[in-house]
Formats: sequence, structure tokens, C-alpha cells
Amino acid sequence: MFKDKIELKDFEKMDPEYKDLLGRVLTIQADCEIGGPHLYVEDILPNAPTKVDQLIVARTAAEEVDHYRKMARILGDIGVDVSYVLSWPNQKRYVEAFHGKITTWEDFAVFGLLIDRVGRYQLEEYIDCTYAPLDRILPDVLREEEGHLDYGTNKTAEMAAKGGESKERAQNAINYWYVKGLDMFGRSESKRSERYMYWGLKRRTNAQAREEYRKEVNALIEKMGLEIPDPNKGRLYL
Amino acid sequence: MPQAPNTEGLDEHLKDVIQALHSAVNWAMPHLNDPKIVDKAIQDCKEILDVVMEGNISEWLK
Repeated sequence: MFKDKIELKDFEKMDPEYKDLLGRVLTIQADCEIGGPHLYVEDILPNAPTKVDQLIVARTAAEEVDHYRKMARILGDIGVDVSYVLSWPNQKRYVEAFHGKITTWEDFAVFGLLIDRVGRYQLEEYIDCTYAPLDRILPDVLREEEGHLDYGTNKTAEMAAKGGESKERAQNAINYWYVKGLDMFGRSESKRSERYMYWGLKRRTNAQAREEYRKEVNALIEKMGLEIPDPNKGRLYL
Repeated sequence: MPQAPNTEGLDEHLKDVIQALHSAVNWAMPHLNDPKIVDKAIQDCKEILDVVMEGNISEWLK
């Protein structure tokens, strides 16, 4: 297991596999950060239920753009340009969950509950990682991401508590995003996942992280009085 | 390892953009009873974010 702390000045000397894996995982991370606003700004910012909600959507988007900026800066410093993902159409994004468009408030709320939570799991992988510039940006990014998923969780719980059509809409959104969240962890048998761990760039296997996530979200969904969707229905990766 | 082109410029530009977004939201939040201020802030944020999404970096860094 590799445990050294690598600074930018040391990066050039690193093994090509380390360079490739760091560039790869952060490119996907940067794409996911900017992928969120691309999903919801157009329809949700002008149409959120209240003015406060609209302002919170704007602030959430600003924080995601800032997370993109931080990832793009780390990548740029190691010679990887990710400016192209700023203008990518959603269908080109690396992660399938970012391919569509969010047009309803319940989808925005559940996206926070389920998909921003996957984002937190992904960011947690880098805590105390071997690339020091990445480790240093994490506390602020994680704190903001926690705010996004708390907001989504609270709004989903409010919809479920109202019952009737509101609860049904929340359930439909959960049915849609639940499997997308599970898929975001990648293949359970991924060999690359083991190499990330070897180089100290991730802490858990895809399967471990997915299982922890599944337990966490299942408990939340049950607490809201909603049904846990079939975890295997419509999955792209197992 | 040579830095990727536009790394510094893009970083600085996005810092300014993010600051403008936060300023608009922070200005509006204590004025929720004033629709003019709130609507203007929301409109400003939408316009700024639309430009970010267009991603026309060569235009930004002219």
C-alpha cells in the first residue's frame, strides 16, 4: 500500500499508473460537480416553490461551480484540462445520472437526498488520501455538499409527510433516482477500484461504499414512510 | 509537469463568478419581503449561471 503524501512538486516523479488514476478520478469528479447545475438550473431556479427555495437553488449551484473550479484547478496544475466539460451537453457526461434533466421540484429534492449523498461518499474516499492538494480542499467541499443533501432530505421528508399526491410524487422520484445512485458506485468487481486503494486514492471498494450508502438511504426512506425500491431493477452495474 | 492552458485564468474568472453569485444571494436573503430585490437577485443569478453553462471560455478569458 502506498502511503506517502504527494505534493504538486512531487507529482512528475510518480508512477504513470498513479498519474493516470488521479487524472481519471478527478476528471469524473469535476464533470459530476458541474453536471448538477446543468441538470437543474434552467428549470428549477425560475420555478422553485418559494423565493427562498429559488435563492437556495442559486446558492447550491454556486457551490457546485466552486467545487468544479477546485477540481479543475488541481487537474490543471497536473496538466489535465477539464474546461471542455463546462459546456458539455448532459448526454455526454461520464456518469449516467447526469444525462437527463431535472424539471420538477420533487426530482430536485430527491436528487439532493440520493445523488448529492453519493457525491459525499465519493468525496469521502479522498479524505487523508495520498495527493495532498486534493486532501486540503475536502473540508469545505464536504461541508457544502452536506448542506445540499440535508436540504434535499428535508424537502423530500416534507413532501412525504404531506401524504396523498405529494407523497406519491416523492415516491416516484425516489423510484427513479435510487437505482441511479446505486449505479454511481461503479462495478463491484472493478479491478481499477483495487488500484485506487493501493495508491491511497480511495478508501473503500465500490461494493463496500455502495453497501454503506444503501443502508444509510434505506433507513432514511423508511423513516419518511416511503417504500424502498428494488435495488436490482433497472441497474446498469452490479 | 506543465500546467494545462488557461488553468490560472479560468480559476480566477470562476472565483469572480462564484463571488458574484454569493453576493446576489446574500444581499437578497435578508430582504425577502422586498420582491424587487429578491427577483433582481434571482434574475442576476440565472443570467450568471447561464453564462457559466455556456462555457465559452475563450470569450471569458479575452
